[in-house]
Amino acid sequence: METLAPSKGFKLKLAGKPDTSVIRLARPATVGVSAQDIPHIRPKLLVKEKEAVKTGTPLFFDKRDPAIQYLSPGTGTVKQIRFGARRRLLEVVIALDSMDDFVEFGPLPSADLVHLPDQELIDRLKQGGVWQSLRQLPARDTADSGTAPPLIIVCLNGNDLFSPHPGRLLEDNIPQFEFGLAVLKRFCDRIIVAARTSSMEQLNPVRHLITHQVSDSYPAWDPGAILYHIKEKAEENTAWFIHVQDLLHLARFLKTGRYPVETMVTVTRGEDKKPHMIARRGAPIRLLAGNFSAGSLITSGRFNGRKVDPDTHLGFFENTLNILPDTPEDEMFGFLRPGLNKPTVSRAFLSCLTDREVQLDGTLHGEERACINCSYCEDICPVDLMPSFIMKALHGDDIEEALELGLLDCCRCGLCSFTCPSKIELTRILSQGMDTHHKDKQG
Amino acid sequence: MNPIKKIFDLLEYDFSDAGKFGKLGPLFDATKTFFFLPSPKTRLGPFIRDHLDLKRYMSVVLLSLMPVLFFGMYNTGYQSGLARGESLDFWSAFLSGAWVVLPIIIVSYGVGFFWEILFAAIRRHPISEGFLVTGMLFPLTLPPTIPLWQVALGISFGVVIGKEIFGGTGRNILNPALTARAFVFFSYPVTMSGNVWVAGATGVDGITGATALAVTADGGSSLTATLADQGFSLPHLFFGLVPGSIGETSALCCLIGAAILMITRIGNYRIILGGIAGLILTALLTWLLPGTYGTWADAGPIYHLCAGGFLFGISFMATDPVSAPGTNPGRWIFGFLIGFLTVILRVANPAFAEGVMLAILFMNVFAPLLDHLVMKHRISKRIPNV
Repeated sequence: METLAPSKGFKLKLAGKPDTSVIRLARPATVGVSAQDIPHIRPKLLVKEKEAVKTGTPLFFDKRDPAIQYLSPGTGTVKQIRFGARRRLLEVVIALDSMDDFVEFGPLPSADLVHLPDQELIDRLKQGGVWQSLRQLPARDTADSGTAPPLIIVCLNGNDLFSPHPGRLLEDNIPQFEFGLAVLKRFCDRIIVAARTSSMEQLNPVRHLITHQVSDSYPAWDPGAILYHIKEKAEENTAWFIHVQDLLHLARFLKTGRYPVETMVTVTRGEDKKPHMIARRGAPIRLLAGNFSAGSLITSGRFNGRKVDPDTHLGFFENTLNILPDTPEDEMFGFLRPGLNKPTVSRAFLSCLTDREVQLDGTLHGEERACINCSYCEDICPVDLMPSFIMKALHGDDIEEALELGLLDCCRCGLCSFTCPSKIELTRILSQGMDTHHKDKQG
Repeated sequence: MNPIKKIFDLLEYDFSDAGKFGKLGPLFDATKTFFFLPSPKTRLGPFIRDHLDLKRYMSVVLLSLMPVLFFGMYNTGYQSGLARGESLDFWSAFLSGAWVVLPIIIVSYGVGFFWEILFAAIRRHPISEGFLVTGMLFPLTLPPTIPLWQVALGISFGVVIGKEIFGGTGRNILNPALTARAFVFFSYPVTMSGNVWVAGATGVDGITGATALAVTADGGSSLTATLADQGFSLPHLFFGLVPGSIGETSALCCLIGAAILMITRIGNYRIILGGIAGLILTALLTWLLPGTYGTWADAGPIYHLCAGGFLFGISFMATDPVSAPGTNPGRWIFGFLIGFLTVILRVANPAFAEGVMLAILFMNVFAPLLDHLVMKHRISKRIPNV
C-alpha cells in the first residue's frame, strides 16, 4: 500500500462528525430522481406525469448518449416533473406504492463475468442505469465507453469530510465489493483503491484491496487530487473514477438483475452526532434532515456540493447533507474583535491558538474585493494550482494560458474560494472555465 | 435593535442609487461596513468561508504599524526636545511628538480618502480597505518637518497616479505610499533631505540633524567610531532614538511589526527574510572590498540593517501583496534583490543617502517579470493536461 500525504489542504477540525452507528429510515412517501447533481447532462424525459412506473423503469436519458438512462428507484406513479429556469429538468418525483415491483434485468453470476463480451457488459450496465456512476476526469463527465481508461480510481471516501464511512458501507458487502472490482478489471488493469488514513482502522477486512492510503486533510481523497499526485504522464489525465457506494450499486445490480434502491446517507449538523442512515435512493430531504431551523442552509457537501432545497430529493450521486446554521446579524466592529470563535486558515484571529472543533456558517464573512495577490489560494490548493493567476487568465479570455497553468487539474474542491480574503468566487470561475472548455471539445 | 444600526437603516435609502445622495453610496457603504461587518449568505459553493476578509487583513497591517507609530511620536518629541536643549519626560516628549505627527497623518488620510471616494463614486465600486494602510504608511516615511501641503500633494499623487489610474486596488504596479514619497522626494528635495529630520529645531545652532546614512568618516577614524561620535551608536540605531523619518528610526519597532506580519501570515515572510538576507550578504561583500575604509561600504551588515529605513521598507512596503510578486520563489528573489539594491545604492550612489525606497520601487516594476519567469518554470514542471 502506498501512502499519499500532500501537504496542502483543509486542516481545520470541523464539528458535526456523524456517529458510526447505522439506522434504517422508514419508507418515504415520495422519491425523486434529480438531474441537478449530474454534470454536463442534457436530459430527455421518457415519462409523463401520472404515469405508472416500476422500480427500474427509465425516467429520462442523456441526449448525448441515449443508452445512458436514469431509472426509477421505486414503484408508483410519477407525481410531478419539476423544471427550473429555462425549463431545465430539476427532478422527477414519484409517489411510492406500498410494494416494490422490479423490472427484471436478469442476474449475472460471478462465474459468468469472465465469459461476458465487453460490449454486452457495457450495454447491460447502461441499461441498468449504473454505467453513469463511472466517470471520467478531468470534466467528471460520464465515462466514455468507446475508449479504454488508463486507470480507474475507486474512492472509498465521499465528497464531504463527513460522507458515509467506508467501513460502514463495506462491512456487509465485501463480496459485492470484490465483484465490483472484478468488473472494473474488465475495463482496465490498473485499479487504484484509495482511502483516508482515518478510515483505515475500520477497513481491515478489505485492507489487502486498498492500494493507496491518503492523508486526512480534505480533499486528499478526491479522485482529481489522487490522480494529480500519482500521475506520471499526460495520458493518465483521462482516468475514470467511481465512488465505492456506486460501485456497490453496480455490483448489486449485476448480481441480482434488479436496480438497487437503497443507499447510505450521512447528515451533519453543528454539534450533533447523527448516525449513518440507510435510506431509499432519492429520498426526500426533509425525511433525511429531520428538524432544522428555518434559516439553515442545506448543502450536499459544504465545499463542492450544491445548495439543496428542503422540499426536493437527494441527488443521483449524493450521500451527504450538511445543515449549516443560520446567519447571525452583522457584527458590530467585527473586524476589530480578537476572534476566538472565528476559525481561519490564516493566523489573523486568536482562534488559531486553539485546537477545538469549529463550526462555520454559510456566510461570506466579508465582501467581495479585488484580488490582492496574497497567494492564500495557492497555499491551500491541493493540486498546486495558482488559482488567482488562472482566474486572471480566464478573465482575459486566454484559455490557452489557463490550460497551461493546469486548469484541468483543478479538482473543484472549493478551497480557493473558501480561503480567499477578497471573497472572489474562484471555484466558480475556474469551474466555468473547465466546463466551457469541455463543451467546446465535445462540439 | 442597536441605535447605530437604526441610523444606518434610516439613511440607507438616501444613499442608494435612487436616493438623493446616490453618488455618495460608496462612502455610506464604507462607513456602514466599518461599524457592522457584513456577512452575506454564500450563494455559490463552497458554502462555508474563512473568516479572514480584507478589513481584517488591513487591520492587522495597521496593528503591526502601531509600535513604529507610537515610537515615532515619542522620538519626534524627544529629538526636538534634545535640539532645544530641554530634557523632556516620557509623556511630554510623546505629546509634543504627537502634536507634530498627528496633523501629518490626518492630512494624509483626509486627502487620500477624498480621492478614494471620488474614484469609487465615479466607478461605482466599494471603497477598498487598502487605503487604510497607504494613508498610514506614507506619513511614517516623511520627516516631521514636512509642510502639510506637501503631504496633501504627495498622497494625492500616490493615490491617483500610483493606484487609481491603473484601475484601483489590486491593479497598481507600484506601492502607492512609496510612489507618494518618491514624488515628494524628487519634487521637494529641500524639505526631504538635509536638516529636516528634527521638528522644532529651526534656528537652533549646532544641530546637524542629518541621518546616520549621511555620515561619512573623516580623518582616518572608522565609520562606526564616527557614527558613535555623532550619536549614532549601534544601540541608538537599534532602539531608534536618532533623527530620521517619523516611522523608520527604530529597528526594534520595525522588527516587532515584521514579526506580527509574519506570524499572522498577513505579510509574506519570504519577502522579509529574503530582503534581510540580501542586505546582509551584500553588506558583507562590500565590507570585504578593499579601499572603502570610512565609508558606508565598510559599515558591515549590522549597521546597514539598523540604520536608515531598510527594516521599515522591507517589513511594511515590500510586503504589500499587490505590488510584490505573486509567486513564492518570486518573493524570495524580490526580497533578496531589494536588500541587494539597498546596499548598492547606499554605497555606490552618493546622490541618495537612502536606497530602500528606490530599491523597492525598482523591484515593484520587476515583480511581474519575476512572476512570469516562475510561472514558465512551473508550467514546464507540470504534467500537461490540455
